[in-house]
Amino acid sequence: MGGIAITGIAETTPTRRADKGLHELVVEAALAACADAGIGPEEIDGIVTDGVVMPTTVPHDFVAAQLGASRGFDAALSYGGAGTTAAPMLAEMAIASGRATNVLCYFGVDWGTRTGGPYAFHDLYPAKLAYEKPYGFNAQPTYFALWARRYMHELGLREEHLAALCVAQRENALAHGGGQTSAPLTRDDYFASRMIAEPLRVPDCCLISDGAGAFVMTSRERALDAPRPPVHVLATGYAAEPTSGEDVFTQGPDLLTLPAVRAAADQALGRAGIGIGDVDFAEVYDCFSISCLMQIEDLGFCAKGEAGPLALAGETRIGGRLPVNTHGGLMSYSYLLGVEHVIEAVRQLRGDGGGAQVAGAEIGLVGGLSPPDYGVLVLGR
Amino acid sequence: MSVDADDPRFRPFFDAARDGRLAFPWCPACERFHWYPMPRCPHCRAGEVAWRDVDGAARLYSWSVVRHGFDEAWAAHLPYIVALVDIEAVPGIRLITNLVETAPDALAIDLPLAAVLPPADSADARVLFRPR
Repeated sequence: MGGIAITGIAETTPTRRADKGLHELVVEAALAACADAGIGPEEIDGIVTDGVVMPTTVPHDFVAAQLGASRGFDAALSYGGAGTTAAPMLAEMAIASGRATNVLCYFGVDWGTRTGGPYAFHDLYPAKLAYEKPYGFNAQPTYFALWARRYMHELGLREEHLAALCVAQRENALAHGGGQTSAPLTRDDYFASRMIAEPLRVPDCCLISDGAGAFVMTSRERALDAPRPPVHVLATGYAAEPTSGEDVFTQGPDLLTLPAVRAAADQALGRAGIGIGDVDFAEVYDCFSISCLMQIEDLGFCAKGEAGPLALAGETRIGGRLPVNTHGGLMSYSYLLGVEHVIEAVRQLRGDGGGAQVAGAEIGLVGGLSPPDYGVLVLGR
Repeated sequence: MSVDADDPRFRPFFDAARDGRLAFPWCPACERFHWYPMPRCPHCRAGEVAWRDVDGAARLYSWSVVRHGFDEAWAAHLPYIVALVDIEAVPGIRLITNLVETAPDALAIDLPLAAVLPPADSADARVLFRPR
């Protein structure tokens, strides 16, 4: 029996400002994920995280020391969501080659309390500091606002489409429960909400959170002994275009298509031996409504320009043709850059989706965006 | 909000702007422009990067009226228009900029624009654009 499974998941309570520090949050999530997997923390012998945020905030050695875990495998890739989503790609290699038995992936941020929050992240790109920040192009909502405006012109996106996706995800969040926001969001609420960077309003933007999530991976064989139903990694995909984070938001002939999304999806679906139509639900990196719609298209769920109408027809709701972000996503559940997407996909496939459970869910797809990188994870019961 | 651009990789753009010119990095080996500036030409990896002047005519690729202050400096200037413009003479190169002599209601994709270069002695070397 080849392949790996996710046997343990955990996350801290979604919140804007936690009463604990980031290190404590990460350790709490890691320990709880081990407990969920039915192993002692010292049984972790491999760690995989994103390659930028975690190594510079809560590095592997710190977590390993707290867990009492000796590592025979240690790896990091991309930054943020693409790295966390594609982490099982590296875990699978490590487990298949006998380098590790129980691999932990974790991610956490304290951007809810940290000065500068998520806006400071892109300061690592000097060209952005020289040529963008001085014009007030200084935060993620401004980047994605430009994409949204252009998308409206080229592909007929309407504000109604954005509203429909946001409203559907809030419905999912309320049905799921436990998310960072408990306020209902109607279409009227959406249109009455404050503009951030036109045409994007408050509900179009992800939340800002303090928190951490973690998951444990092991061989399918060992997963049979785990206390919870194992969720199998059917396939992974990872792709990165030859463009830099400096250029990806403004340069390039077509800013409305993310080539890495299609490439990573093709890899994952090919390896899993399934078609996109076999996917029962998707947790898609919704840093903004517009980028979520673009990924739904680039993943192959619909043609270019059709994700908005798909949302407007109610098809992304629980019970729709393609439930998207069943926990409410980054916009309505928490913003831990996608580790909560992996965790929610596992919950769904365990049948633990609660009020947001997708009936008969057998295959789920997770997409993690870290422009220009993309990770795809296909999970199955 | 003045530009801090002492990095030699970025500085020629601002030096040219203060001299009344719009210039972009250009590779003498493969004779192509690139943007943003890189240590080597991203098309052919040649090590020598020159800068060439181009005309300041542009078209509006996209824009946003920003209504939230993400930092203190900009919170005092709300709302403001941030724009992404295609440089007509160099297909493939876009600039982030602010628009002057116009208003949000007058904007449309592909609006023809002209560069507004800073005065020679200005500490602020930002290149702005106005409708033409």
